[in-house]
Amino acid sequence: MATQKKIIKSGFVESFPLAIAIAIKGLSFGVLATQAKFSLVEILAMSIFIFSGSVQMVTVAMVAGGASLTSVLLTATLLNLRNILYGASLAEGLSPAKKWRWLLSMGVSDEPFVLGSARFNKYGPDPLYFGVVAGCFYLAWIMSSLTGSLIGTGIAKPEEWGLDLAFPITFVALLIPGIKEKPVVATAIIAAIMVIGLEYLIPDNQFSIIIAGFLAPFVGIYYLKRGVKSAE
Amino acid sequence: MLNDWLLIGLLSISTYITRIIGVQMMAGRKVSSTLRLYFNYVPVGIISALIVKQVFIPTDKVLEISYPVLIGCLITAIIIAKIQMFLPAVALGIISGWLVRYVISNGF
Repeated sequence: MATQKKIIKSGFVESFPLAIAIAIKGLSFGVLATQAKFSLVEILAMSIFIFSGSVQMVTVAMVAGGASLTSVLLTATLLNLRNILYGASLAEGLSPAKKWRWLLSMGVSDEPFVLGSARFNKYGPDPLYFGVVAGCFYLAWIMSSLTGSLIGTGIAKPEEWGLDLAFPITFVALLIPGIKEKPVVATAIIAAIMVIGLEYLIPDNQFSIIIAGFLAPFVGIYYLKRGVKSAE
Repeated sequence: MLNDWLLIGLLSISTYITRIIGVQMMAGRKVSSTLRLYFNYVPVGIISALIVKQVFIPTDKVLEISYPVLIGCLITAIIIAKIQMFLPAVALGIISGWLVRYVISNGF
């Protein structure tokens, strides 16, 4: 029980900075969706059932711009592709949850993935922690998008709230403690180089993260195996 | 109106499918040591990619460095490496980023 309390506390503490950032983004989404003529119930339904900041923001922007249902769906699918990789990577850490995996999978997205995978790497499988983190983000997202849709106007630029700082900075705080061995360093560096290269070639593309996330680990494995061979 | 609800329904289903597919595909499956190693490195690759994507921002088809994000990340990296405390590292990183943004916008 004491351990469970500790896990729940860790989940709350570590998700707190990101939950604030998510809430501000949710406010912004609620406002924009209202301006794009979505009703309050529709906005709430999007946040409850889709629960994806990037997909919802893009949907609202595309609908406001007169995009077709097919083009919105295709774009959303592209945005969602990385969830497959996230899910596969989180699967082992969520496996003790058995049937609850179906519910916990609702939390498979950028921020819970970052916190969850950092936790699993450090302490092993921990569905409770993932559930707490995803639950915090879920509530923050729903409540803030509801508030935003009630406010309706006013918040348009997340940069003014420092929102763009909270995400990468929290990610750095989670990444750095795990970067100790050379293969991990190599993976991180190669992923960074790949993203810069891909963004340079095709600015603002939707594939750079999934390509870097898919390919960079091979460099880490290569580096590790080469190190083992030379040690032999 | 009907189209909105159709869109919301389809987006909900497609998003959930991408979430569950990876989890169910790999859950309870015995994986080779190399595949396990691969999935251990995936988070590092993706988190690094997410960070870098937010430091290098495409503006008018040219990549620009966001100095507030870059400095904030560097300060956080140094603090978390030195003191291993999550919240102070994040808070100081965000404050540094805000300060850099203020200086860039308003000067000293």
